[in-house]
Amino acid sequence: MTTTTWTAANSRRLARRERRRQLGPLNVLTHVALLVWTVLTMVPILWTFLASVKSEEEIFGDAWSLPAALRWDNFARAWEQAHIGQYMLNSVIVVSFSTFGTMLVGSMAAYVLARYPFRGNRAVYLLFVSGLAFPVYLALIPLFFVVQNMGNVPLVGPFIGLNTHAGLVLVYIAYSMPFTVFFLSAFFRTLPTAVAEAATVDGASHTRVFFQIMLPMAKPGLVSITIFNVLGQWNQYQLPLVLLQERDKWVLTQGIADISTAAGYDQDWAALFAALTLAILPMLVVYTIFQRQIQAGLTAGALK
Amino acid sequence: MFATYRRGLFILAFLAAPVTLYLVYVISPYLQAFYIALTDWRGVNATPAFIGFDNFIRLFADGVFWKAVTHNAALLVLLPLLTIVIALFFAFLLNVGREGQGVGGVAGSSFYRVVFFFPQVLAVTVLAVLFQQVFRPDDSGMLNAPLMALGMGPIGFLSDPDVAFWSVLGVMVWQAVGFYVVLFSAGLASIPRDMFEAARIDGAGRFSLFFRVTLPLLWDTVQVAWVYLGILALDVFAIVWVMTDQHGGPDFSTTVMATEIYRNAFQYFRFGYASALGVVMFFFTIGFAILSLRLSRRERIEY
Amino acid sequence: MENTPQITRRGLLRAAALAPMAGALAACATPQAQAPTSSAAPAATSAANPFGVDAKKPLEVWIFDGGFGDAYATDIHQPLFKTKYPDVAIKHSATKEITKVLQPRFAGGNPPDVIDNSGANALDMGALAQDGQLQDLGPLLDAPSWDDPNVKVRDTLDPAVVDFGTLDGTFLSVGYVNYIHGIWYSQKAFRDNGWAVPKTWDEFLALCETIKKSGKMAPFTYAGKHPQYLYEPLLTMAAKIGGNEILVDIDNLEDGAWTAEPVLRSAEAWAEVGAKYMMEGTAGLDHVQTQTAQNKYQVAMLPSGSWLENEQKTTTPDDFEYGMFPIPDVTASDKLPYGTLHTRPGETFIVPSRGANPQGGVEYLRAMLSKKAAGDFSELVRTVSVVKGAGEGRDLTPGARSATEALAAAGANTVHFRWRSWYAQLHDEAVAATGRLMSGGATAKEFVDRLQKKADELKADSSIKKYRR
Repeated sequence: MTTTTWTAANSRRLARRERRRQLGPLNVLTHVALLVWTVLTMVPILWTFLASVKSEEEIFGDAWSLPAALRWDNFARAWEQAHIGQYMLNSVIVVSFSTFGTMLVGSMAAYVLARYPFRGNRAVYLLFVSGLAFPVYLALIPLFFVVQNMGNVPLVGPFIGLNTHAGLVLVYIAYSMPFTVFFLSAFFRTLPTAVAEAATVDGASHTRVFFQIMLPMAKPGLVSITIFNVLGQWNQYQLPLVLLQERDKWVLTQGIADISTAAGYDQDWAALFAALTLAILPMLVVYTIFQRQIQAGLTAGALK
Repeated sequence: MFATYRRGLFILAFLAAPVTLYLVYVISPYLQAFYIALTDWRGVNATPAFIGFDNFIRLFADGVFWKAVTHNAALLVLLPLLTIVIALFFAFLLNVGREGQGVGGVAGSSFYRVVFFFPQVLAVTVLAVLFQQVFRPDDSGMLNAPLMALGMGPIGFLSDPDVAFWSVLGVMVWQAVGFYVVLFSAGLASIPRDMFEAARIDGAGRFSLFFRVTLPLLWDTVQVAWVYLGILALDVFAIVWVMTDQHGGPDFSTTVMATEIYRNAFQYFRFGYASALGVVMFFFTIGFAILSLRLSRRERIEY
Repeated sequence: MENTPQITRRGLLRAAALAPMAGALAACATPQAQAPTSSAAPAATSAANPFGVDAKKPLEVWIFDGGFGDAYATDIHQPLFKTKYPDVAIKHSATKEITKVLQPRFAGGNPPDVIDNSGANALDMGALAQDGQLQDLGPLLDAPSWDDPNVKVRDTLDPAVVDFGTLDGTFLSVGYVNYIHGIWYSQKAFRDNGWAVPKTWDEFLALCETIKKSGKMAPFTYAGKHPQYLYEPLLTMAAKIGGNEILVDIDNLEDGAWTAEPVLRSAEAWAEVGAKYMMEGTAGLDHVQTQTAQNKYQVAMLPSGSWLENEQKTTTPDDFEYGMFPIPDVTASDKLPYGTLHTRPGETFIVPSRGANPQGGVEYLRAMLSKKAAGDFSELVRTVSVVKGAGEGRDLTPGARSATEALAAAGANTVHFRWRSWYAQLHDEAVAATGRLMSGGATAKEFVDRLQKKADELKADSSIKKYRR
């Protein structure tokens, strides 16, 4: 047994050495290709970081010159005058609530549709999933007025109309339904039924089975789709552009686009680069920390 | 009896919130858009007059909109093609391109995978603003500085109507590649190792390994990627609206359906007409979805 | 933990019962007739309070934060308004993109009370008027002025303000600044290099050639990202060659208005400048970038308006000495004489009719049009206001002096066009076509044909309201 293994390993090593001889130069090419793309990816981002500590004249001078002194005050201006901090906080608030809401109601709908056959089940499921193919631009105009009319609903109106974060949260949740339901109901179908059945026999209510048994079991799927929704909602531009017009309510994407326009008038390009850096850096840090989960989550979401 | 009642109540309770939200915010706007498309609505208080298919007739003569459609069509072909080719290439190198201990990725493959993915986590608007600066038309531009140093006059990446579209496409590919590298890598990871080993032992080089083994086994994933990128190409808005001159210019050379809808609705106040454009876009998207479902019914490879 | 599912279920059931009701109320998007809110009704009017302003009702003001900034509103206009209405809380906001921020508010029926509707992203006045969104400002003209109860507001203003603010017979907007367009240069640079202000187009081209050969700077540039900066001198020149009716015809969407010979001649002239004398990279630069290049003596001339000096105040060298000159004579038989200027009341203030406090909005405008407010304004932002005599005894900067002198020299020979604010689509098409023309992508003939085609399309489009002057 030991001998056979050794022989096999040995012959494989020989074969490997043979292949390395044949394909050696290709290995170099491989690394060159990968490095080229790495450079292509990183350089625009690093260049932005570099420009964020330059002075106005340096920014308008040679693009690749190094700054004479590091101008950290650009960041102070971006943070205070350009309100990057406020926009970021708004984004965090909106996305926290909307992702939580999306996951809660999305998993509830997906669970019922996946595990409870009833008349109309298929129709409701198709209603949700058909949303995957609708272009949001068609709905934009009526949606604007729907949200506006929501503002006239008694009691809750002032909290969910135009220019409210809660209103945007509800819209985000609704527009995240198609993918969330589609993905999670597929996921719930793959989960074993035995535990849930046993609990039901023991007298646990449907709700309790869901929250205490099924949700914990579905954790991998929930993590995937949470990441998917966080990224999607964080990067959303079109919906807040239409639904939030007051500057103090703006989310980060709106703020950045506005700073870019404003830089044309105020001539504060340095603050623009600082603002870009502030928008990019936290995302890269968070991503690098959670990169394994994020990559797994996103690709799992795409492959279902 | 009580159990059935409880079950029904449970279903109702669990579906009420999601279905209501969905009906109010998603389905009802879509349905109303179809009606608004048949009116001359320009604002909120003037009563919209029903004008039948006038908007659609007008739309056929709208040169700018059809220009936008051709741009979407070009993106629909080029964005998936370029992205998938590049991403497949890198995914292959990262996962099966290595020489050495068995079949595996080259050294540092996890590093590359992390870096390639960076653009994907950044908001499109952030990238749009960033690339506005990268593409500056003089030597303060990241790309033009070295080009001018080499004596190749400044390129109007965003200001030359013949170039601007390619700049938009370039940024979109640049952002998308990382995601698909990771996606294809995940696909490759699910292919049993010994299939590659076997091919290798049969003396397959890297090229035949790619075309004879990798590509056929990944075909399903490639199709998924194609559909995703196709939808991305049809839905593009922020990169064009924020990055290009005159929101889809210069001279409408980068405009797309979504920007024309937005422009007509929220700059020209032509809600009726913009909704008609939206309806056309809706049918293009549905058409693409149906077409890709049809075409993707290809035999799966069992392993 | 035992109770958690219970509470959740009850909560869910309540949501299930309430949500569809709320949804049914709101899910309908199309307009519901909105009765004017009772709060919009005026309080009692008097000579001192001609519009019946409620002394306690808040006022929301939006200022276009462009070349003039917004300090004039917070530091001059609002304190003045407050002297009379100390209990009115003013909510002040500023933006670079009026349309993006405020269009949805109009659509939503809750617009603010005063808007400075200016800038590259100004609201489409034609659509607003067509939709009845604008307060009739006629009563403002006939109200007593802020300074003197015996003088009507109308009599304190440059008459062009009334012409320009009138749409379909109703006075809807107040242009606050007298924009004077021309070709801007550095008097110092011209003096140092011995360059003279050109009086004829041949002299202009010769000057461009001299500057180009000198190698010191590029002869000419314009805000290539916003080609409206160039269609302005192009149309002014067309009017100078062919007379004011050229612009009137274009405004009225007359057949062949764009293809008229003078427009073609002017387009050819500017295309030549575009081909030969343009600063490198112009097509991709915006107004600030080109203007800053001029401040750095990288380019000699650019077309702009009397807001320029203030807009550039942070980057202009102290001895730069802005100056402007009018469009030179093109032919020996130009219909309008040398010195003809394109002027227009700009920085257009409007009062939305469906705001919460339109009376307060109109009163705010009355305060703005007082001699003190207008004078302080012109001094602060270095420009010429439309209030007669407001600039008297104030210190003028070189650029403002140059523009004021040019205006005096022009006398009655001023021209303007209005289609830009009437037909936003035509504006977008003209922007695109001008960019093409200047970068050599289209000939002058193609330029005029293209715009004629667009104008004809608009004319034939029954869904777009037409205006005449």
